[in-house]
Amino acid sequence: MISLREKILNTASNLFQTQGINSTGVDTIVAAAGTTKMTLYKYFTSKENLILAVLEKGHQDFQTWLNDNLNASTKKPSEKLQILFDFIEEWVTSPNFNGMGFIKASAEFPSEENAVHQLSSEQSRQFRQYISTLATEANIHDADGLALQLSLLFEGAVQAEQMKRGSGAIKYAKTAAKILIDGAKKAS
Amino acid sequence: MDIFNSEWLIRMLEKSSNTPQGRILNLFDILGDWLAAPNLHVILSAHISSHDLLTNYLSKQATAMHAASPEILAEHIALIAHNAALQTASEPNGNHLKHAKVAANALILAQTQKQWASPKSIHSKRTIYGIAASFFVVGLTIAWLPTFLQTSSQQNIVVALDVMRKDNSTEIKTAAFASNSKNLSLSAHEAATMYAKYEQMRNGTCQFPEAIQIPDRDKAVYLENVVGGKLPSNLKDLATANIYLEKVRCNFTPMLMANSVG
Repeated sequence: MISLREKILNTASNLFQTQGINSTGVDTIVAAAGTTKMTLYKYFTSKENLILAVLEKGHQDFQTWLNDNLNASTKKPSEKLQILFDFIEEWVTSPNFNGMGFIKASAEFPSEENAVHQLSSEQSRQFRQYISTLATEANIHDADGLALQLSLLFEGAVQAEQMKRGSGAIKYAKTAAKILIDGAKKAS
Repeated sequence: MDIFNSEWLIRMLEKSSNTPQGRILNLFDILGDWLAAPNLHVILSAHISSHDLLTNYLSKQATAMHAASPEILAEHIALIAHNAALQTASEPNGNHLKHAKVAANALILAQTQKQWASPKSIHSKRTIYGIAASFFVVGLTIAWLPTFLQTSSQQNIVVALDVMRKDNSTEIKTAAFASNSKNLSLSAHEAATMYAKYEQMRNGTCQFPEAIQIPDRDKAVYLENVVGGKLPSNLKDLATANIYLEKVRCNFTPMLMANSVG
């Protein structure tokens, strides 16, 4: 049985993804979670802290899912980079896809001074670093450069899919990723 | 000024190249210069929409180069440029726009490769030759980039395409040359190989053959198009330059490591 804290977190996560963060009021969250404002603030102290907790959980869940699937698919580092985009395509094209938390949050909180924006940027960097680590394990010479190229491709494709579901952007991003990965492998 | 909705940016792109690919890829150089300009209060919009001036303009360019899904390509490239510009604004030395340009070029290849790999979708041999020639020249251009970039970061990697498009007869001749070089059906994989060569040369210290060893008839081409990094303007020079480009030797041992050998 999930705790009340988790229930609030999951409810807020669903509402943020489907309605937007700024458009979702605390009243809506407590009503949907079947709790009170007092309980919500007991666990999260403010809406901003709730947003940060939702972002952290969402990113952690995504990274764990991706990592588990990658490790279950292959042990060869050189194959993991390309397979990474297979899983991302699977995720983006699934009916439950509602966008990427840190990408949406970054757009809703554009000010660099904002804590939500700062966490979004940090998660974007963490994802890039994750790709860079895979590239390093695959003996890619310019692992950071390739990671930057692939993360820009990936984030752009996710945003395009957020704007228009089924756009096919992720399909072309996957082909482009293969071109970039093959090129980087040959250069190494 | 919201750069992604500015007519100034469209004007800059329009005059930056004679080819749609060139105009798309120059976006990243123009944004880089704009962000680096002194005393400029940079304002970047928080969102990119499918209706802004830039996305519409990119969509027209993507249509002109027969992309599989022009609107998707335009939106995706606008988003990549927007994200890279935002990252550059907060981290000016991160090379985000340079890598964004590489990613965008791969995306263009991904959206256009099928059309020339499958002749059924093309109406005439002339078109096939033209596209094959374009990719061949893009490949050569990429191989030239290390010296090319030294001379001017503003120059477009598809300048060669401009030359091709200006003169249709040259386009056909270049296709024939590409055929002789077994490059007529340049695939995405082969384009990636060109990337690899470019990346390799960029990461090394390259030694060019001494000009005195070059026959007089080729000397001007060698100095201008290989050492100088300026793209040849005709087919004959292109073939000659390619021969000497193959003779450039590069050392990829890091300087510190090479100097520390006891």
